[in-house]
Amino acid sequence: MAKFCWLVIGLMPILFGCEDMVELEKQSYVVAVGIDKTDQDGTYQFTYQIANPEAGSSLAANNADQAPSEIISIVGTDLMTTSSTANAFVTKQMVMDQTRVLIISEELARTDQFLRVIQSVARSNQIRRGVKLVISKENASQFMNNNDPALEQRPHKYYQYMLSRARETGLIPDADIHRFFQITEGDADLFLGIYATTIEDPKDVSGPEDTIVAGEIPKHGGNSTQFMGAAVFKEGIMIDVLTAEETRIANILDKTMKMDELLASYPDPVAPEYNVAVKYIQKNEPKIEINYDRVANHAAIQVIIPFEAEIIAIPSLINYSQVDSYKERLKKSIESYAEHVTRQFIKKTQEFYRAEPFYWSLYIRKFFKDIPDFEEADWNKQIYPNADITVYYQMKRMHFGKMLDDTHLNEVRD
Amino acid sequence: MRKKKAQTQQKQTLSSDFVNNLDQLKNCFSYGVNNDFSIRLLQAKYNNKELALCYYASLVNSDKIEQSLISPLLEQEGASIFAIITAESVKKITLLEEVIENITSGKVVLLMQDEKVAFSIDVSNFQHRAVSQSEIESVVRGPKEAFTESIHVNISLIRKQVRNSQLITEVLKVGERSQQDIQLVYNKQIVNQELLDDIRQRINKIKVDNVPNLESLEQYIEERPYSIFPTIFYTERPDNASTYIDRGHVVLLMESSASCLILPVTFWTFFHNPEDRYARVAFGNFSRLIRYIALFFTLMISAIYVALANFHSEMIPPDLLLAITAARERVPFPLILEVIIMEVAFELIREAGIRIPSPLGPTIGIVGALILGQAAVEANIISPIIVIVSALSGLTSFAISDPSFNFTVRISRFIFIIAAGVFGMFSLMSALILWLMYVVSLKSFGVPYLAPLSPTFKSNRDVYFRRALKKERWRPAYLLPKDLQNMNKNK
Amino acid sequence: MNVNKKLSSFEMFSMTLILIGMKLSDTTPSLFAQKSQNALWYIPFLAFLIVLPSFFVIMYLLEKVQAKHLVNLFELLLGKLLGKGLAFFIFLLSFLMISLDSRNYVEQIKTLYFERSSSLIIFVLFCVVCVFGAIRGIEVIGYTSKVLIPFLTASLVLVIFLVYEHMIWERIYPIFGSGLQFVLKESLFKGSIFADFILLTMAYSSFKKPSDFKIGGLIALFIAVLEITFLFLIYATVFDYNSIEKVSFPFHEITQYVQLGDFFTNIETFFMVFWLLATFLRFILLLYLQTWLFGAIFNIDEFELLVLPLGFLSMVIGLIPDNSVVTELVYRNQLLDLLTPVLIVLPFLLLAIYTLRRKQVT
Repeated sequence: MAKFCWLVIGLMPILFGCEDMVELEKQSYVVAVGIDKTDQDGTYQFTYQIANPEAGSSLAANNADQAPSEIISIVGTDLMTTSSTANAFVTKQMVMDQTRVLIISEELARTDQFLRVIQSVARSNQIRRGVKLVISKENASQFMNNNDPALEQRPHKYYQYMLSRARETGLIPDADIHRFFQITEGDADLFLGIYATTIEDPKDVSGPEDTIVAGEIPKHGGNSTQFMGAAVFKEGIMIDVLTAEETRIANILDKTMKMDELLASYPDPVAPEYNVAVKYIQKNEPKIEINYDRVANHAAIQVIIPFEAEIIAIPSLINYSQVDSYKERLKKSIESYAEHVTRQFIKKTQEFYRAEPFYWSLYIRKFFKDIPDFEEADWNKQIYPNADITVYYQMKRMHFGKMLDDTHLNEVRD
Repeated sequence: MRKKKAQTQQKQTLSSDFVNNLDQLKNCFSYGVNNDFSIRLLQAKYNNKELALCYYASLVNSDKIEQSLISPLLEQEGASIFAIITAESVKKITLLEEVIENITSGKVVLLMQDEKVAFSIDVSNFQHRAVSQSEIESVVRGPKEAFTESIHVNISLIRKQVRNSQLITEVLKVGERSQQDIQLVYNKQIVNQELLDDIRQRINKIKVDNVPNLESLEQYIEERPYSIFPTIFYTERPDNASTYIDRGHVVLLMESSASCLILPVTFWTFFHNPEDRYARVAFGNFSRLIRYIALFFTLMISAIYVALANFHSEMIPPDLLLAITAARERVPFPLILEVIIMEVAFELIREAGIRIPSPLGPTIGIVGALILGQAAVEANIISPIIVIVSALSGLTSFAISDPSFNFTVRISRFIFIIAAGVFGMFSLMSALILWLMYVVSLKSFGVPYLAPLSPTFKSNRDVYFRRALKKERWRPAYLLPKDLQNMNKNK
Repeated sequence: MNVNKKLSSFEMFSMTLILIGMKLSDTTPSLFAQKSQNALWYIPFLAFLIVLPSFFVIMYLLEKVQAKHLVNLFELLLGKLLGKGLAFFIFLLSFLMISLDSRNYVEQIKTLYFERSSSLIIFVLFCVVCVFGAIRGIEVIGYTSKVLIPFLTASLVLVIFLVYEHMIWERIYPIFGSGLQFVLKESLFKGSIFADFILLTMAYSSFKKPSDFKIGGLIALFIAVLEITFLFLIYATVFDYNSIEKVSFPFHEITQYVQLGDFFTNIETFFMVFWLLATFLRFILLLYLQTWLFGAIFNIDEFELLVLPLGFLSMVIGLIPDNSVVTELVYRNQLLDLLTPVLIVLPFLLLAIYTLRRKQVT
């Protein structure tokens, strides 16, 4: 053993300086990558957002002057070679292990070039399957440069918090590279990417506040970057944008999307000029039953969505919690409103997209014995667009929060 | 040449010529030059013969000589010398060699006119420390006394806890020039005979002039002197000794060593602490859990840091990664060198802390750890993260209480750090698996080092964690005890 | 003191589990997925059912003939020359297999963690570890496996726990994958993924009792098959049938994908640690058994000395294929197909000879 120990120790200096050994300070950490289209096919503009380790560090004397990140754009053919070209002016080797988001410009996503470039991205070992896919309305480089959060100085924190919070509220879909490839390669469903923009184009909203997409929020102050809605991809090419409400419906109908609760407003059944703010809680997954007729290659789909609701605000001050008939009306109203919106959306997918973004192809699979059989039946093009779909929302419970009753306006004004 | 002379001397018996015997002794002990060696001549009252009492004045209790030898011999009448001497132990000896040995071990040898035999009377009074508190292996709960440098005191400390007539203290001699006694303490009804024979054989094989104490004995009888793992347990706690005797281990004691050797032992002996058993199950196991964490940290944290930072930076969470990077941007050394510098610095402080005169001890700790670390960070010589990492690995090493095993862990740590610097986790795991296989292959007096975890033996399953004392019914079967079940017969 | 150091059933269990169970983390799943798509998960189970009788026959024969190990069994049944010849044939096949296999693992380490280093250096280090580990002998290998198996299992359970939320069970449909006939054919020809177990019979005499070998081995085989089946099921449900074909190392892809909360997002290195330990143990064991087989064929008693040359040789053979994954899939696929009939037919042939001979004697 002693001899062996010495042998190993003796061998070590020879092996020292192995090529994979990199000092931490000799690497630049790319937090976000953006990809834009150029005039030429096969050539893209890559934008890298590099985190500055000095920013926010207690060691830096002139802390305030440090920019939290540096954003560079460079034209090239693929992510990795371009990053090495970038070393002409970036001092360190760029690593993308910590990358959280991949930002694609809508312009690029709408061409068939997108699938090519993202293939090469996924091949690289450094880009993980968990990287989120964001589609920006403007150019990705413009998006990244405009994005200037005041509170979250460190960019990786910004993306992490921003995306996870927007995800929780159901404003955006859950979209990582892993899911993109599964759905695109599966070729049976639509993929939903996160839609975002920094260009503010406020829209006058009448009715529920979420029939809008990113950029259209009427707001003042704050970061100009908005994450809202979803980009619809069919066979790897972006075809449309879903509004926040549609995205929520897609999230509800898709059991692979984890969504626990969301806040939304529904029309007040008793006083139609007001809305009722409801926290929509989904404890159980939606039940999707498919009756498939093999001969006709036709499917009847029944969707039952059990949910719970917590009433958060009743601006009309109608006493829903105490009066049973009102309560029943509210329940019916929420259910029917949700059903109406959902049916409309499903109809849109059937007629306009001729495919669904809910990952419902999962439920039809069990009717086929093997993959060639399944692919021949063609859920995407044959079955779904012609399927009969019925949607039912079932409110299992209604909570009224901690207040039993609202202040009576009449009494106050007395 | 000298050896030959010694051998001829050995065979020599005492002659009936009193003066001749005395001259031979005087010659042997360089009487006159050797100030310590005393001869007291007197005439016994009971038979009117010349007597000589030969002894080392520094080794005997002079009061006792006075009371139990000189005054009875001068005053008492009696049939034989045994009736007169009031000392507890009187032995007849015939060889000159024996005379010499008895004198050197602190006995009084009585030579008598016209007698071919001499009498050895035990009045020895070796000086030793009083029984004091255990310092290296201190416990909060449990007996606090430690062995001292006297073999008699040590045996009495063991016997106090093992009240058993089958507890044997067997004496073996070692050393050619300076003969020392080694006491084998074991329970005859339990201990494996082969094991005893093996130990006796190994001790008899030692052919050196002098084995002054247990610490050197350990190195003479262990199997692999170059190994970084100890295979004999060195402890200063009598309660440890008695616990292990009850399990079927053998304890070695020597004069002038304030500790004992326990063998054979396993990895668990070094890792477990007597307090684990004195504390209640949950408490003892909790402290064990903490020690496992400490063991992991002290062995691995620096190495893992090197491996992650140099090879697998993707695994470090981004905030931490940026913090480390920012700290490292001003540091001139490569990361592995930085770690080694700090680890070596820590070891230096530690070594110096032991050697330094005790009044200065606490100061050096503060100077070393705080001022040096702080200054080095401010001078941008090392990054603050390294200070945290190496302080953590250094501090946690103190949780490994056994001093020998502590060395093992500290040396292994350096092996792992260097290994991690070669190929990151890949080479670190290579080193770990070879290290582990080496541990598994070790044996202490034929007992596998990781027994009873692997290979499995019937035992109390006191391995990673211990069970309730009531459930402990077995002696460890890897010791092949004569009586396997009896530790606890309650159900 | 003479403590009985022979192996017990738990050591057999650990060694078998590591030897066979490791198949879940190499290219085997993607090999299966090429032909059967999402039906890959029950192929190991079917394949196991096909080769299980062979294992029973071999164990039965070893016990009846009272052979010391596999080569001894061949010699006793077939005569010295024929027996040794057959053993040598098996040695060649399995040695080739293991060399390719080790290359496969080295490539995994390289592509996933050390992209810039040359595979030669990794291979050398890998072999050094295997040689030094194997020299310590079968007992130490067994004991070490036993020490490590709880940790390896715990890490696997953690992977399963973390990946659970990403599994979509409906993806196992259509149940027959690319078609029933492909799946069955694949099951029939890939029984040889369990062939390593036959090599373990070399260690037959180093167990306390023959039943330790039998019980430990069989339990471990069943658990390993369940483990492999379950992990393959995870691969099929996490990746879909289209993606699974394209992923060469699904186990590592999964460890890259899972995350432990928001703070620890990239934890594959944590799992890599346990995977590496298991990999080392597996190849240490394989190298030792190979050397033993070789030593038994040529009556070399101190065969431990051959560990170094054989380890070196296997490295050289492993380095021959120039491209990693694709060629590996081809070579290994063919070799597996070749090995399976041998594995299925041979034990029954031996059994027939045994019954014939017994009749002759009585």
